[in-house]
Amino acid sequence: MRHTAAKAFAAVAMTAALTAVAVPAMADPATGTVPASTDIVGAGSDTTQALLNQFSTDYNATVSGTPKLYSWDATGSATIVPKSGAASITRPNGSGAGIAALNAAGSSLDFARSSRGPQTGDPASDLFVAFAKDAVTWSAKSGGHAPANLTTQDLFDIYSCTAGKTDWSNFGGTAGTIKPYLPQINSGTRSFFLKAIGNPVLGSCVVTGPEENEGTDPALQNDDNLIFPYSVGHWVGQANGHTTATDDKGNLTLRSINGVAPLTASGTLNPTFANPTYGRVLYNVVRDSDWNASPATTKSTALRAIFGPSGYLCSTAGKASTTSYGYLTLAAAACGSTTHI
Amino acid sequence: MSRHAVRIAAAVAGLALAATAASATSASAAPATGSAVIHESNDFFQKAAQAGIVAVPLPTATAGYDPASGLSASFPVTGGEGRMNNFFGGVDLGGGLLFVDARTGSAVSFHQLGFAFDTWAVTAVPDGSTTPVALFDPAGNNSITSSGSTQNLTADALVLDAEGAQYLDGRLHTTFFTAGQTVGSFTLSYTPAA
Repeated sequence: MRHTAAKAFAAVAMTAALTAVAVPAMADPATGTVPASTDIVGAGSDTTQALLNQFSTDYNATVSGTPKLYSWDATGSATIVPKSGAASITRPNGSGAGIAALNAAGSSLDFARSSRGPQTGDPASDLFVAFAKDAVTWSAKSGGHAPANLTTQDLFDIYSCTAGKTDWSNFGGTAGTIKPYLPQINSGTRSFFLKAIGNPVLGSCVVTGPEENEGTDPALQNDDNLIFPYSVGHWVGQANGHTTATDDKGNLTLRSINGVAPLTASGTLNPTFANPTYGRVLYNVVRDSDWNASPATTKSTALRAIFGPSGYLCSTAGKASTTSYGYLTLAAAACGSTTHI
Repeated sequence: MSRHAVRIAAAVAGLALAATAASATSASAAPATGSAVIHESNDFFQKAAQAGIVAVPLPTATAGYDPASGLSASFPVTGGEGRMNNFFGGVDLGGGLLFVDARTGSAVSFHQLGFAFDTWAVTAVPDGSTTPVALFDPAGNNSITSSGSTQNLTADALVLDAEGAQYLDGRLHTTFFTAGQTVGSFTLSYTPAA
């Protein structure tokens, strides 16, 4: 009965998603828009930037006055002025950079987008507010030399550049020297993927550089031998039409790990694949002092109205957008739950 | 084998070799430990009592009372799979829960309680049935923390699941229970088998 109800809800949510995302999301605050000093402004993860842009558009349509919600993309101009009166900062590119910018002295950011959970080195004063689930798998060129499936050990060997494990024919694919790529160093997807496959010591055959989740990156074009980690949810969102000139899957397709497919038959993120090894929770990171301010402040109230269990991201409309952008929603109060190191 | 173990084993068939090795190891190692505590607020307890309804934990669950926070029922963790902070898997709980309505003379008891990390609900199987019912949902502010391998959840509210409310009213012949009705609060501490 519960499963039937869940399926019915999913169908309704999908229908709602098509309606909810009718208004296209802006990359960065729209040209000419300078977030007010009291607005809620964030930066960080590439993986969730498109979805946060959509949330910004939709949430702000429900708010008269301030605070509104704004989210700076991971890439673009080298520097940004997050909000009115703030100092210019290097644009945070990735979860780690976003969290670092949030915690920098005098930071004007109110949240950081994060595709990884808390880890050693994060301040205990950061709260990670959960809102969705994703998974990370590996991708390769459609019609290229890579096989359909690799094991965790295979991936460890490939990124270690282990002798005898550097050609796709070693893994049941077509002969061709494997070209393992990784996203840039601050990428949450990069750190998550490497941890999932056992934290190999990267071999000299590994190339770091492409922007994560962008199959259109020039380095990834027309190479039959490449392998590149990819957010399953982001790929599904791109397949659902949430793309830009660069934020697109290109001709990369997702592949299985340990015999488990990352996609369902209908092309959605496979919940089974989102297991504790390859599944990850998506967060927005806030300062505990902001979130739990006592007495409540305008900022704490706004943060909870956006990210909290009764906030916009966890509302029916917010979850519809989450689904449309390819991610799994979190049930009940799991959405908006907090965790920290 | 617990229902969570069955579900996870089926779900991650691709990890069968690793799972088999892990279970073989865990069979002779420390079992999963911890407890789930349902705090029944004084407000809910009084309203339920006025309606003639009482809820009683059954062994191996234990009951307690604090004048400030109300009744509590503690259920021991007997097994589990997955990870709370990954919202995957769940824990199995020992003991049972008996609901009685003195006015209608009806009663229903549940065993095989569990907490599912993916649906974020406390479920239980009515005696005489094999189908679990979602009884309660943690609500309000939920905080997940870890200490070593122990995972903890603190939910400052616990509400009746729509399915549970409908089921209880049906079996007790009452109209007391409603979806989203605040019952109290909920905590869970879970240390996986080592």
